[in-house]
Amino acid sequence: MSNDGTIHARRIRKSFGPKTVLHDIDLDIASGEICCIIGPSGSGKSTVLRCINGLETVDSGVLKVNGDDFGYYETDNAYHALPPKKLAEQRTKVGMVFQQFNLFPNMTARENVMAGPVLVKRADKKQATKRADELLASVGLGNFGDYYPAQLSGGQQQRVAIARSLAMDPEIILFDEPTSALDPEKVGEVLAVMQDLAKKGMTMVVVTHEMGFAREVADSLIFMDDGYVVERGDAREVLANPQEPRTQAFLKQVL
Amino acid sequence: MNGIDSALKPRLRRRSTFEYVAWVVCILLGLGILVSVSTNPNFKWGVVAKYFTHESILRGLMLTLFLTVASMLLGTLLGLVMAIMRASSIKPIAATAGVYITLFRGTPVLVQLIFWFNIAALYPNLTIGIPFTDISTAIDVNALMAPITAALIGLTLNEAAYMAEIIRGGFSAVGKGQLEAADSLGMSGAMKMRKVIIPQAMPSIIPATGNQVIGMFKETSLVSVLGVAELLQSAQLIYARTYETIPLLIVASLWYLVMTLVLSYPQSQLEKKYSHTSARVPRKARKVVLTAPEGIAR
Repeated sequence: MSNDGTIHARRIRKSFGPKTVLHDIDLDIASGEICCIIGPSGSGKSTVLRCINGLETVDSGVLKVNGDDFGYYETDNAYHALPPKKLAEQRTKVGMVFQQFNLFPNMTARENVMAGPVLVKRADKKQATKRADELLASVGLGNFGDYYPAQLSGGQQQRVAIARSLAMDPEIILFDEPTSALDPEKVGEVLAVMQDLAKKGMTMVVVTHEMGFAREVADSLIFMDDGYVVERGDAREVLANPQEPRTQAFLKQVL
Repeated sequence: MNGIDSALKPRLRRRSTFEYVAWVVCILLGLGILVSVSTNPNFKWGVVAKYFTHESILRGLMLTLFLTVASMLLGTLLGLVMAIMRASSIKPIAATAGVYITLFRGTPVLVQLIFWFNIAALYPNLTIGIPFTDISTAIDVNALMAPITAALIGLTLNEAAYMAEIIRGGFSAVGKGQLEAADSLGMSGAMKMRKVIIPQAMPSIIPATGNQVIGMFKETSLVSVLGVAELLQSAQLIYARTYETIPLLIVASLWYLVMTLVLSYPQSQLEKKYSHTSARVPRKARKVVLTAPEGIAR
């Protein structure tokens, strides 16, 4: 059975210097699952996400993405880091959308979307162009291929960033507070694109403060605080009926 | 008051007394210097005019330009290599570049030039061969290290250290998010360097490099100590014969000044082009019509 689109973590730990930011985190995300991670800032939710595509490395624990040990291979008594080429290959199957979009300012929207397929996968340029235009159209930016990021609004940039991730045909796509840097009125257009994506069966892990999105779109929800998973479960269930006092207090503040 | 509508009256800048004093002092001083310079016969302006386009002066100028261009090109290339090495996560490679930069920035270029010229004192023979075989050729370093070679090597190695720092500064101006975005697409290190880091570092590297060119143009005068007949040395060779020291130094200085002014124009244009806040939008983008209705995207 293929494990594509799954994420499995057992007791992952991560410290920055003396501060432990992840304490024995477990995750089990199925293919096609939409999982939202919520929690106050500094709770470690972004760090979890960044570990899943190797922007941070975990100190210990098991981390399998798409069924493979991520960034490492296991021997009898240790995990050994993979060569950069292998890690890059694993990363192509995990898309990432950043809070600050991080589009390449020296490339047009179309070139940004084509960057992965053409530069990394060595795809045919003509086909990649066609695909890029289709993807831009699918995020509602069909006419904006020739625009540079600086000429686009935040919401438009974030939609290009989503198209750029999709161009790699990832099994999993990670969203790190995708709407936090946007004007309130631009949030909706990005969430709408994400909602579309959710319907297509992509595995999505979304770190967010958008409780509405979590309630309407997410299958599962994880609430983190201070490096611990405090509560997890069915998204609507947890939001409607939180069991832990800490979750109750947090939700009372944000809802 | 009188007929003009108050709302239309010009608003004048306030001039302080100090400003008027400054003007007067400046003009008097300027005139004084001008009169003194033009009436003092020891300047020998006739001699200056005579040698300004003298053949050996022009040949020296050409050599100066050649040294500038060659050492800047080679120095920039080597500087790029050093900057990339400096940014390496592999310690010995980063440290090698660090030591190089420290050594070549930390010692006077004049000393370096004389050092390379006399390198044969340390290594009289250079043997090039294939290891573990008898095939080899010995090269006499003294013959190899002609003045012009020593000049080129000295200027290039020194310039590379400065360019490495300029390029490294440009690299560090590229945001961390850009590198993460490249990583998350699975780009290799070299690809990331070529497609993401270097294009974005250019706006800060190019104007600084223009400055280096102007500096290098004058720095080449140092190689006159090796007997390379560049602009200054060409002037020196003439006044050694004619004893018209000052007029010939003026000839050389005028050429340095003229060429610096000539080089300053493209330099200031580059600076203007890249210092703009919209520098993050490549120039060709400005052709794109910016008035596309926001709404069509929704």
